[in-house]
Order: sequence, then C-alpha cells, then structure tokens
Amino acid sequence: MKRILIQDTNGNLRKELKDFMVALTTQLRDRGMGDVTQVVTVADIGVYQKGLVAKIFPEGFVYTGLGLGHIAEIIEKTVMNGIKVDALAFDKKDKQMRIVLRNCGRIDAESFDDYLLCNGYQGLVKALEMGQEKVIEEMKKSGLRGRGGAGFPTWMKWNITRGVTGDIKYIICNGDEGDPGAYMDRSVLEGDPHSVIEGLMIGGFATGASNGIFYIRAEYPLAVERIQKAIDLCYSKGLLGKNILGSSFNFDIEIRLGAGAFVCGEETALIASIEGLRGYPRPRPPFPSVKGLWGRPTVINNVETLANIPYILLHGGESFGKIGIEGSTGTKVFALTGKVRNSGLVEVPMGITLREIVFDIGGGVLNNRGIKAIQTGGPSGGVIPEQFFDTPVGYESLQKLGSIMGSGGMIVLDENDCMIDISKFYLGFCVDESCGKCAPCRIGGTQMLAILTRISEGKGEADDLKQLNEISVAMQKASLCGLGQTAPNPVVSTMKYFADEYKAHIFDKKCPSGKCASLVSYSILKEKCTGCGMCARICPVSAISGSRADKYTIDKAKCISCGQCFDVCKFGAVVRE
Amino acid sequence: MGITIQDLDRLKEEAGKKVTTNWIRVGYSTCGVAAGADVVYKELVAEVSARGLVVEIKKCGCVGLCSAEPLVEVNVDGVPHVFYGKVTKDVAHKIIEEHVCQKKLVENHIYEI
Repeated sequence: MKRILIQDTNGNLRKELKDFMVALTTQLRDRGMGDVTQVVTVADIGVYQKGLVAKIFPEGFVYTGLGLGHIAEIIEKTVMNGIKVDALAFDKKDKQMRIVLRNCGRIDAESFDDYLLCNGYQGLVKALEMGQEKVIEEMKKSGLRGRGGAGFPTWMKWNITRGVTGDIKYIICNGDEGDPGAYMDRSVLEGDPHSVIEGLMIGGFATGASNGIFYIRAEYPLAVERIQKAIDLCYSKGLLGKNILGSSFNFDIEIRLGAGAFVCGEETALIASIEGLRGYPRPRPPFPSVKGLWGRPTVINNVETLANIPYILLHGGESFGKIGIEGSTGTKVFALTGKVRNSGLVEVPMGITLREIVFDIGGGVLNNRGIKAIQTGGPSGGVIPEQFFDTPVGYESLQKLGSIMGSGGMIVLDENDCMIDISKFYLGFCVDESCGKCAPCRIGGTQMLAILTRISEGKGEADDLKQLNEISVAMQKASLCGLGQTAPNPVVSTMKYFADEYKAHIFDKKCPSGKCASLVSYSILKEKCTGCGMCARICPVSAISGSRADKYTIDKAKCISCGQCFDVCKFGAVVRE
Repeated sequence: MGITIQDLDRLKEEAGKKVTTNWIRVGYSTCGVAAGADVVYKELVAEVSARGLVVEIKKCGCVGLCSAEPLVEVNVDGVPHVFYGKVTKDVAHKIIEEHVCQKKLVENHIYEI
C-alpha cells in the first residue's frame, strides 16, 4: 500500500491544501489507485516554508512546492511506478547527530536488557581491558570538554586526580541543572540513566575513584527515581560493588539530592552541599581534583559529559575527535526554547551554524515573526543578534560573540522581546540565586537590577549606561565564583548589540518592542473595530468593555499593558504607543 | 557476587531473544508525563489487551520534540514506522483502531522527525 503524507509547511495555504487533497484523491480514484493509496494530512513533515510538501511511502521521497499541476506526474511516476520525480524532490538532510541522546526515547529507561542491547556496558568492558592510562589517552584523543559550561578538558581533569595519591577518591556526577530553560541533563537522566552510570564507572576506573555520587536536584523526582532504579538494577545484576566484571576495580554509587540552589552547580558549593554544609563556594585553589569532598581528590563531571564517555570508549577517541571543529569536538545538546516552532532538545555536531539550528531543525520563529536574537548560556551567557547566526557553534566562537556555550540553553527571541526585559529577567535570577557570601555579587547584582528596573519604568538617566558598565566590570573581576563573575554577561551583551534599545528607553522613554508595561499604552481605533469582542474576552483584568454596536474601549485606569488584546486583534484595531 | 564479562554477553544474548518487531513507544520523560503521557499509555495498554493484540508497549524517554508531547512511536508490520504527536486519549484509541488494526495512518498527528 502507498501512503502519501501531505502538509502545508507555510501555515497559510489552507485553501490550496484542500484543493490539492480533493484533486489528488479524485485523480487517484480515476486511475484505479484509490483503494491502494492512503492520503493523510500530517502535523509536521520536518520541512519548513516550502509550500505544500508531500512525503511518499514506502519510497520515502519528499516533494516540495506542490501545486495542482504536479498531481498527474506524481501519480504516474511515483505512485504507480515508484520512480522519483526529480524536479520536485527535496533532499531532506537530518542535521542532528545523536551521541548523548543515542538511546533517549528508544529504550525503556528502566530496563537493563534494553540498555544491554544498545551495547550497554561494553564501553566499561573496553576501559577495564585498556587500563587507566590508555583510557585517559583515549579521552585526550577525543578532545571532549566539559559540557556543563566551562569547557575544561575532561581528560585533564581525570589525569590530575589520577596523579594525586589518596586512600579514597570520589567522582561526582553534577546533575544540578539550573539554567532557566535548560533541561538536557534531566532528559538524559530520565531517558538513558545507564549511560550516565556507565560513564561514571569509567571515570571512576580511570581516576582511581571507588565512590561515585549522583548530585541531582530534588526538583527532578523522575530523574532521581530512574537513576535509583538503574543503580539498584546494577547492584542486583552484580555490576556494581566489588571486583567489577572480574577485575580488581571496586565501585559504589549513591545519590545525594540538591535543594535547588543555582550556586550548588558550582563545584566547591556542590561539595559543601554534599558535606551537609551551607551551599557556599570557596576560593580555589586547592581545586577539587586535588582536595575536594571530605578533603579527598574529587572529579566532578556534568551529566552530558558522562553520557558521552561510553560512546567514546566504544568507538575510539579518534573517531569522536573527528566530529565537530578544532577545539570543540563531538556534539552538543541544546534545549531550544522561546519563540521557536519546534521547541525541544536538539543534538548537533559542533560547528553547525546557529541559523541551521533555529531554522532547519527548529522550524523557524513562531507565528512567522521576525527574529531578533538568540540567548545562549542562560544567566551566564549573552544574546547573539541575527547578523551572527552564521557563526559555527563552538566554545571559543560563542565566547568571541560575548556569549557562551553554557550548559546548552538556547532561547529564541523575536521582535516582540525587549532586551531590557530579558536582561532584567536573567539578572533578577542571579540576584535571587546569589548566595550572598561575596560583596561584588551580592551588592553589585542588586544595584544593577535596580538600575535596569528604573530604565524599564521610564525613569532611566543619562548616567545609567556608564554605571551599568562599571558595576559589570567590578562584578566580573572581583566575584568569588562563576555565578557573580558571569551574572552581568546578559546585560553587557545586550548593551553591546542593542544599545539603541537602551537609549530609546532612557532618552525617548519608549520601549520599541512594547514589552515594558510602564512605557506603552494601548487604545482601540473605533473606525477599525468590528466589535467582535475578542479583546474583551482575552483581557485578564476586564479593562475592555463595549458591544458590537458601540465598539470596544479600553479603560486605561484598569489596563496593565500586557498586550494580549494587541496580539489577538485580527483587524489591527488595537494600537500600541 | 559480581558478574563476569561472559555473563554480560550472555545477558545481552538472552535479552536479544525477547526483541519483538511490533511495538509502540510512549515518551515518558517529564515533558511527556506533564503533557499527559500517563493517560495515553493506559489507553494503549487497555486497547491492546482488550483486543488481544500482540504489540509490546514501552515507556521510553524523550526523543527531543518536547513541544509535540505526548509522543507515540509506532512500528507494526505493514505500516510505515511513524511518530504521532500531541496524542490524546482519543488519538491513542485511533492509533490502535486505525494504525494497528486497519493498517491505516491516523490523520493530522504524524510528526516526521
């Protein structure tokens, strides 16, 4: 049986789609193919902005830009004879590459058998055969760098701890994922817990650590549950404990829950938290690799980093090192969110451009609005405006643009997003999450937030930009840990790329995106209003009243300038000033 | 007592014998559960057992298209392997009725990823 899948990929071709479907089914019937062909409309065909698109099974051909004139040829060639119509064919390339997410969604996370069938624990077998030194050598060849954000070479971290003599060593999986909008680690822990456990075991073996700890935030109950089940399974199968797989390697794993403080993702604060102390960072050195948990050498690796490790051992460091670009090898998982059509997780080889991620994989901006920028790296990162979207993704290339790779949050901002509002949000997050130990972060953050709030309320002064700059530098230079050092980044990068928006707020008292409530007001044009009442229905504070005959008006005293009426009006009757 | 490498190979081999060709995977990470994967899973299990079908239904992780959760991946003989997104109880019912039993794809819910 043939199947023809059809979708309108522009989102505004309703009539064309209907006509096409009618003509296609009629002609199929006329040709006597009606009973052996199923025509279905689908929700998403994986191709965007290419008009009517069809995919034909079992051949899997994808045809784009279809019109009524193409039907006869498609039936004649493809449906009846299985031949490709070259003029219409579209080569749909999968730009994703799944290494970390290789098993996510494909296996039952709670099944030991499922993981074994995906070559589970074979990386560990290989590591045990190779010995410590060779494992670290292999990691060096792979060029794998920490995926938690800082990008420190994993092999180097392991090598330092391996070189330190100590009776007890620890390896910790950092599952304290806290960036707003980022949830890659949660997904890996929930979807493929054994791969992280295997990575942790290999790391333990290579560094000489016999104690593994999962530090996962308590807000991830499902992840904690699945990891615990996976650990229990490993113990019951005899894969954890003493003399693993007949070797002299002993390894035990336990879980510690984090209470959700953002700063506890920082290594030294994380260690303090596990020790039962307040989650305060401490100055380094000594680095945890030398003196960490309970004063013992401790390696801390991010979830995504660990999930890469079984793959590297199994396929060799060299082949992993060939993926990506110089200095940034392998893949990166991004949590693509914000104003993007397909929000979700994407895993891409390093070196792919931001444009490919947002438009080819993400399907472009929601509601076909204009794109303004993307935000990467969460509260420690910055914004990247559209003119730099052709930059290849890598640790250094993003840093050059004033942002960072970070743990992998990627938020798409459209023309309705205000940069002052975005900076305020991220800075507000860091102010909330600042532990308060050092003054630059505690006081600097609060002061910057106060200035930004003033600007967004139309009370900005000429001196504000200079002040923001000065406080930023002080925080970056003098804060104790990464949280404070990077907290000004969103402000610095928006000031760099969107200086005009800051000036519009400060000098013209206007918010060009219409986001800052104090700077915009809404009204309804009587001559354009059709009296449909959509605005009145959506208004959350019942500030709009009227009737079909009298048209509608906004009560300015009640209005909170949320802009929902502006978005919902189909007739352009609601105006923003 | 720990297992050996040979034991691991044997376990893998035994697991391989249980693999089935007719299966349905339900996205069951936080994103899926939050979107209603639980109801979908229960409906699929109930329908399959009520009809006495031989289809394995698995709770799996997240494939990445979180905006289309609950996501259900279906692979049964004679029908192309597809993902259904934004599945509700009704759609789950249709997946068994139309896709599994009648071998017809369900309208409007396919996501090609």
